[in-house]
Formats: sequence, structure tokens, C-alpha cells
Amino acid sequence: MKKFIFFGILSFLIIISSNVCAQSGEKPLRIFGYFQNEFSHFAGNAVHNDTRNTFNLQQMNVFFQKNISLKWSAFVNFEMVNNFSSSKQWGSAKLEEAWVKYDFGKAATLRAGLQIPTFNNLNAIKNRTPLLPYVVRPIVYEASFEEVVTLEEFVPGRAFLQLYGFMPIGKYKKFDYAVYLGNSPNINNFSTRGQTGVDTTNTFLVGGRVGLRVGDLKMGVSGTMDKTNLFTRITNFFNVPSLEPFEKRDRFRVGADLSFQNDMFMFEAEYIDVSYEEYSSDGLNANVIDRLEGFELDLAFYYATLGFYVKEPLLVYGTYWRSRTIEPYFLDLQRGFVDERERLNVPGFGFSYQLSDRVRLKAQYARVNVNVDIGGNMIKVDNTSNFYSAAASVFF
Amino acid sequence: MIKKILFIFFILMGWQAAQAQVAVIAHKAVPVDQISSAELLDFYTGDIKLWGNDEAVIVFDLKPKGEVKEVFYKYLGKSPSRMKSVWMKKLLSGEGDPPESMKTEKELLEKVMETPGSIGFVAEDKVTDDVKVLAVITREEG
Repeated sequence: MKKFIFFGILSFLIIISSNVCAQSGEKPLRIFGYFQNEFSHFAGNAVHNDTRNTFNLQQMNVFFQKNISLKWSAFVNFEMVNNFSSSKQWGSAKLEEAWVKYDFGKAATLRAGLQIPTFNNLNAIKNRTPLLPYVVRPIVYEASFEEVVTLEEFVPGRAFLQLYGFMPIGKYKKFDYAVYLGNSPNINNFSTRGQTGVDTTNTFLVGGRVGLRVGDLKMGVSGTMDKTNLFTRITNFFNVPSLEPFEKRDRFRVGADLSFQNDMFMFEAEYIDVSYEEYSSDGLNANVIDRLEGFELDLAFYYATLGFYVKEPLLVYGTYWRSRTIEPYFLDLQRGFVDERERLNVPGFGFSYQLSDRVRLKAQYARVNVNVDIGGNMIKVDNTSNFYSAAASVFF
Repeated sequence: MIKKILFIFFILMGWQAAQAQVAVIAHKAVPVDQISSAELLDFYTGDIKLWGNDEAVIVFDLKPKGEVKEVFYKYLGKSPSRMKSVWMKKLLSGEGDPPESMKTEKELLEKVMETPGSIGFVAEDKVTDDVKVLAVITREEG
């Protein structure tokens, strides 16, 4: 079946590539990008009562774009986050996208290569800071947090083949669709066992979104299926001989999005739920796995933002994010695992001001409440912090 | 008699002043003769990039703010700043380029005249026989 898919895709690309040279429309290579610098103030909380102020080059992206012909174009996106410096080992730099696309017309476009797949409203544009009013994006989309939050558990980070487009179903109504294939991320983290993170031997990431656009209103549902190795840290800890049963747990993401934007208001909201195949000790003799059986692992996130354009370039908004994580927590060898339930509640507000076509100023306040309950009141944490931030997003 | 003529003259002048007519123009060879506001919006948002004959749709815009631009964007149902954010999204997603903006209607007219597959807008009284008129937008004041 996989051979069939592989050869099918290859034949298709060869057939349509015959049009590349036959068409006009080639344009010079364009290089452009943007960066976002922020200043943030952490006002302290019950645990950390020291205040902190930080300047941060939150993100910088450089794009290379080339219209190869009328229907073909290529796009490369380099991303650097958190004051990237290789000498100081700060932040990270990565090749976020490198794809070529073929336009069949309005109904379909095929993109092949490394890309950010369509999932809900924000995923595909999450790192385009000049488009967004936020200093700190809804947490599962905030690239500068990727060192502390497992962002890609919530939303798919990359795909390699995507077909998308729209079909008009009335004067101002459109049916949107996107389907994609990719790797199950980080199936392999060990370079001694082949290329890391790019292994499709056992499974693909399969996902998509279907949606409806009615004028300025947009809504849709998204989903992905893949397998994950989230638990290798547990197996490493216990030195379990076989990693395989942990590496191939099914993961399902389901999302829903609703957004509206006109000259006076903007509204956007999303819901994401991530569920995993339950643990099973079938065929295994590892006590650790037996102890994990029956424990839940489930993630959920939602956010909603309502904004009002006070005057054309000035948007003020209120926003609310909430995430819920349920996962097994290892107490000790005697007591084994218990449920850990973590809730993150973040109400906030902010504004953004489009100073010019190329510069967007932003400010944001967020009140972050973290509530953790381990083992049904065995350990409890309830902590609230206040964050203030200001940023400038510059397109060049 | 003079009063009647003056009355008709002022009525006509008033009617003229109350209307702003904008013509949606295209290169002579485009494969359509008329266009709806929904189709025009698809062209200007970059949702549709090709004409029926597979020729590229090349969209032109007017740089200066003015009545012609205002009437045109009102017809599209989007403000110029909203359209700018739509184009920025397309550009940063690798999905298309913002339209080239012309400094004057004369320049825009000439550009449409000489660019196959192009589309733009000018005041109706500036239209010449060298371009095709796909729609005429009329806005009556208050």
C-alpha cells in the first residue's frame, strides 16, 4: 500500500512537472521576512516573588520565494527564536518550511515538501507575527515557548504533502478543504537507528481540515492521526529493554475553529483535543507498563479573542486561553504512578497598532493561573502570575 | 422658459454630483465580458489566480486614496486596510503577491492596456476604447 502511495505521488509529480518549462511566469527570487522584538515584565508570584524584566528577539523569519512558472512556485522559510546564538547556545534556528507548489486552479493546489499543515485557523500562520495582534500567541502556537511547552503535542508541526483548495457554493460562500500526509514526529530519536524524526516505516501523519467561509465568517473542523513516542522518557528512566510498544501509541487530534473579521470587529476561537491510545501490557513482561495501565493521558486547549478596531489601525482586544493536561505522574518506585491534572487559565487583554505597512506595535497583559493536582490532592499547586509585554513586529 | 432650463440644468448637475461612476477595466483579450462583485473579490484577494483560458490574472490597484478607490473597495465589501492585511497574509504564506499600485488613474489605464490578463479600476469618464469594461459601479451619495 505504501509503495503504491509512493509511486503514485512520484508519477504524479513527474507528469505535472512536464509543464514547468512550458509555461511563462518566471519571476526573480524574492527575499523578505520579519522579526518581533519584545520587552516583558514578570511581576512575580507566590513561588517566585522576584520581578523580572527581559528584552527578547522573540522570533525572526527569513523567506525565499520564487515563482518558477505560472503554476509552480517555491518557498523556503528559516526561523530563529529567542535571541538565537549558536555561540551562546541560546534559542533555536530551524528550517521551518521548504516546499514547491502547483496550482491546478481555484479548486486545488498541491504542495510538496516540508511545510506547516493546515489545522484550525491559526496553525498555518502561527509564526507570521506581523499578521497577529498578540505579543504572546495562544500558548500552543507560541514558538518562543517551545523549549518549555510541548507545542507539537497539541498541533501538527509539519507535513510533507498537502492538497488544498476551495469550492464556491454560492455567491459569497466557499467550502475549504485541506488534506495532508507527514511523518509521525520523532518516531525515531536515535541516530544509530536511521534518520531522526523522519521515519514513516510504521505510520504516516494523516490529517486535514474542512471548513466554510461565508463572507467574513470562517469556520471549520480539523483532525490528525499519527503515532507518538511520548513515553520514551519513561522507558529511558526505567531502562525498559524494548522501546517499541511505547513509540507507537496512536494519537488523535481533533480541532474546531470559528473566526470573523470585518472593519470594526475581529473574533477568533479554537478548540483542540488530543487523545492517545490507552496503555496496554499485552505481550509484555515489564512491571512498569502494568503499573501504567488504566491511567489517562489527554490534552485539551481552547482560546477565544474578541477585538474592536477603535480607529482603523488600532485594535484593542480581550483574550482567554485555557489548557488541560492529564498525564501519569511517577511518585516513586513503591507508590508508582498517579494522575497529574494540570490546568492553565490565562485571561488577558492587549492592543496592536499598525504604525505603517511594515511596522506593527503591540502590547499585552496576561494573568497566568496554573493549577496542578497530583494524585487527587496529594500534591496541589495553585499559582497566579502577571505578565506585561510590549513588542514591535517589523516586516522587511 | 429660462427658469425651466435652469431647473433642468441644476437637476442634471445635482444628479451628476450625487453619483460616482467607477469602471472595472481589463485587458482587451481577457476571456470574459462582465464580472460580478464576488468574482472581482476573488481576483483581488488572490483566491482566483487564473482566467478561464489559464492566463494569469494580474491585478492593479490605485495608490492614492480618493473617491474612485473608495467606491471600488466599498463595492468589494472590504476597506483598503482590510485588503492590505489579506494581501500580507497571502504574501507571508507564499500564496501570492500584493497587486502593483499605480500612482494615477492614467498610469493604471495604460498598464491595463498593455498587460495581458490584467484588471483594474478607473473613473468611468477616463475609460478609452483600448480596454474592456467588465462592470460599472455606481454609488449614490447619502
